[in-house]
Amino acid sequence: MPNKYQLMREGALCQDEWIYSDEATALSEAPTIISLSRLKAEADDLRARNAKLGVQLLADGNGKTQLGEDVQELEPYLDMLSLVSIAFPTYRNGRGFSAARVLREQFNFDGEIRASGEVLHDQWAMMRRCGITAFELAPTVRLETFTEAMSELSDAYQPAADDQRGALWQRHK
Amino acid sequence: MAQHSSKGARFQAVTANRLSDGEVVYLTPDNQWAETFAAADISDGPEAGDALLARALPADFELHVLEPYLFEVLQDASHFKPASVREIIRAAGPTVRLDLGKQDDAKRES
Amino acid sequence: MYRYDEFDHQLVSERVKQFRGQVERRVSGELSEDAFKPLRLMNGVYLQLHAYMLRVAIPYGTLSSKQLRMQAHIARKYDRGYGHFTTRQNIQFNWPALDKIPDLLEELATVEMHAIQTSGNCIRNVTSDQYAAAIDGEVEDPRIISEIIRQWSTFHPEFTYLPRKFKIAVTGHDNDRAAIKLHDIGIVIKQNELGDVGYEIHVGGGQGRTPFIAKKMADFVPKAQLLAYLEAVMRVYNMLGRRDNSYKARIKIMVHETGEVEMRRLIEAEFAKIDASQMLAVPPAEIDRISAYFASPEFETLPASSDVLEAAKTQDADFARWVRANVVAHKQDGYAIVNISLKPIGGVPGDASDVQMEAVADLAERYSFDEIRVTHEQNLVLPHIRLDDLKTVYDALHAHDLATANLGLISDTIACPGLDYCNLANARSIPLAQEISERFADLDRQYDIGELKIKISGCINACGHHHVGHIGILGVDKKGTEFYQISLGGSADENASIGKITGRAFTEETIVDAIETVVTTYTDMREGSERFIDTYRRVGLDPFKERLYAE
Repeated sequence: MPNKYQLMREGALCQDEWIYSDEATALSEAPTIISLSRLKAEADDLRARNAKLGVQLLADGNGKTQLGEDVQELEPYLDMLSLVSIAFPTYRNGRGFSAARVLREQFNFDGEIRASGEVLHDQWAMMRRCGITAFELAPTVRLETFTEAMSELSDAYQPAADDQRGALWQRHK
Repeated sequence: MAQHSSKGARFQAVTANRLSDGEVVYLTPDNQWAETFAAADISDGPEAGDALLARALPADFELHVLEPYLFEVLQDASHFKPASVREIIRAAGPTVRLDLGKQDDAKRES
Repeated sequence: MYRYDEFDHQLVSERVKQFRGQVERRVSGELSEDAFKPLRLMNGVYLQLHAYMLRVAIPYGTLSSKQLRMQAHIARKYDRGYGHFTTRQNIQFNWPALDKIPDLLEELATVEMHAIQTSGNCIRNVTSDQYAAAIDGEVEDPRIISEIIRQWSTFHPEFTYLPRKFKIAVTGHDNDRAAIKLHDIGIVIKQNELGDVGYEIHVGGGQGRTPFIAKKMADFVPKAQLLAYLEAVMRVYNMLGRRDNSYKARIKIMVHETGEVEMRRLIEAEFAKIDASQMLAVPPAEIDRISAYFASPEFETLPASSDVLEAAKTQDADFARWVRANVVAHKQDGYAIVNISLKPIGGVPGDASDVQMEAVADLAERYSFDEIRVTHEQNLVLPHIRLDDLKTVYDALHAHDLATANLGLISDTIACPGLDYCNLANARSIPLAQEISERFADLDRQYDIGELKIKISGCINACGHHHVGHIGILGVDKKGTEFYQISLGGSADENASIGKITGRAFTEETIVDAIETVVTTYTDMREGSERFIDTYRRVGLDPFKERLYAE
C-alpha cells in the first residue's frame, strides 16, 4: 500500500520504519503491518517470524452496515503485535476513538497505536487522549501546527486513555 | 438539504451564502456576488445553466461563498422570479417578519 | 444554580480561542469548508436560509438574570433584536455574522455560557424538568446529575464523532416534563425500597423520520455507577451504530434493529468492563460540591394562601384567568411557579425580543431568586414567585405582551422555525401556528377546549416534535406547494405515544378548518372532564378520520 503521509510519533516527525503489506506478498524482516484477515489466517506462522508485526483495523467493511472490524477480535493476537493501525476512512467515522481506548484501557496494549486515513487537525488532541500515539498525516502538515493543536485545550472534564484524571475528580485531589 | 431540484428547468440562476456573514447572494453577469435577486444572471437552457454554475466555482470560491447552486427561475411577462417557495423566501426574507431581511432593505431603499 | 470554577472558565475560554483560530483559518482559505463545517457545527453554528444561525446552550434550561440579559445584549449587538427559544431548552439567534461569532462567544463566556456541542454528531445539551426544585414530589433535583453529565460529555474525546447527534434528558418526577422517552438516553431518578437514589435508564427514543419510544435498559443504576453506565451505552453506540446512512444512524435505529435484549446484553457487557476500573465513579465530595449549587433558595415562611392575591383576582378577571392557566402550585407554602407564554395570539412561537428578555430578567432578579427556566415547549418559567407578588409580576409581563393566559391550551403551539428560516424545511410552520392561534383567539373557547398540545414541524426532521403532539402537523412539499399532514394522539410525557396520521394531507387553505374539525369532533364526543388526549384514547382515530374526510 503506497504511503503518502508523514509520520508524527510522540510529537515529532519521523521516518516510518513500518511498511504495509498486502494479503499475499511474503513478509520480509521489516516491521510490517498486515490486515486482520491475514493475521487470523497466518497467525501460527507469524508467531514464528522473528520480526515486528502490526495489524490494520478497518472501520468500514463490505457489509451494508459498514461496521468494519471489531477491536475485540485483536485480543488473541496482541501478544504478537507491536502496532495497531486504526483506519479513519473519513473524519466523520469516529469508531477508531473507541477502538484505541479499548486497546489501551481494557487490553492494556502498550505498543504503538496509530491513526491512518482522513485525520483532521482538530481531531489529533482527542485521538491522543484516546491512546493514539502516532499519526499518518498529510505531507503538508507542519510540526508547529500539530504542537499547537495538541495544547489548545489544556484540561479535561473526564478521564480517557491518557493521564488526565478529569476535572470532576481533579478538583478534589 | 431540501434543495429543490431544478431538473428540467429552462431558466436558472445561481445563489449561495456569503462566507463572512451568511447573507444570501446571487451571481451576476460579471461574476460578482450581489445581494438582490434582481441583479442575478439568468441562464436559458441546461447547457447555459451548467456554464453559469461553473462561473460560480473558480478555484477560490470558498473564500467568498458557501455551496453555490442552480435554482429554477420563472419568466413572468417582463421579469424573472424564483420558482420555488424556498427561493422566494430566500430572496425576500422570513414571511413572518416582514421587517427583516432583504424585503426590509428594499422597502427602506425605496 | 451552577457557577463555573477555574476549570470551567478555562475550558470555555480556550474553546473560544480555538474556534477563533478555526474561523481565521477558514477565512484565509487554509481550511476548506468541508473540514471547517464539523468544527463550526460543534460550536453551534449552522448555515440557514438567510444567514448563519447560532445556538447557545442553556444547560437543563436554567439561567440567571445576568445570563438572560446577555442574550438580550447579543440580540441587539450581533443579531436583529430577538432570539428564539427551542424545543431543547436552548436559544437560537438567526442572523449572526461568522466573523463576529468569536467575539460573541467571548462575551457569552463572561456570563458562563457557550455554544459548545449544540450541533454536530456529539452529545448535545442535557435537558430537564423546567419545574425542578419548585414542584412537589421530586425525588431529587434532576439538574444535579444533568450538570455532572454535562461536564462528563463536554469535549469527550471518544464521543465527538458519533454516527449521529445524541440527546440526553433527565427527570426527577413522576410527571415527566422532560420527554425522556423521546430521547437517545432518558433518565428517571428514583428511589428503591431502601431509600437509595438511583437511575432508571431508557435508550433509543427519538422523533425525526422514524419515531420511537425509548426502551428501558436498566431498572436501577446506583448513583456511583451512572457515568460508567452512560459511557457503556455511548461506546456500544459509537462502535456498532450504523454509519452507512445518516437517516439510519441514531441509536433508536440500533435498538430497533439489534433488539432490546441483545442491546441490553451489549451494554451490560461493556458496563461491567468500564465499571471494574472505577474510574468514572464521581467522588462524593464533587457530587456534594455540585449539589450545593442547587440548594433550595432561602424561602420565607409564608402562609399557604395570600389575601393580596385573592383580592387581586377578584378585581381583575384577566389576571384571575392568567393565574388559573399559567400559575402552578409550588412545593413551598406561599409561593408559586409562573409560566410565561411566548405564544401571544398571532405571534411567532418561542421568539422573544431583547426588550422582553430584559423585562423577564428584571422580574427574575427581583421576584424569583434570580432564576429563569426555558421549557421544551418554547416557553419560559419563573420558578419561585411569592403569591403576594403574582399581581405585580403579571402586570409587568402584561406590559410586555408576555401574559397570554394559554399554557397548554390550543394556542400554546410548538412550531419549528420551518421554511421561513430553516435550510432543511419543506414547508412553513410559523404562519400555520399563527393562523391556528388567531382562529382560536377567544380565550374562553380555549379554556373550554382545555389542554390540547399542537406541535408543528416544517419537515420530517420533526424539530417541532409533531410526532408527540396531541395534534401533530407535518408540513410537506408536493411539487413545490406546501401541504400539511395531521396526526393525532401523540404524547411526550410519562405516557409517551407517537401520533397516528389521519390520512390525506391538507392544503394551506384547508388545514385550519381541518384543525377546527378535529377540535369539534372532540368537544362533541367528550365525556366528563376528559381532555382531548383522553377522549382520543377512548374513541380512537376513526371518528376523527370520518369527520375530516367526510365528503
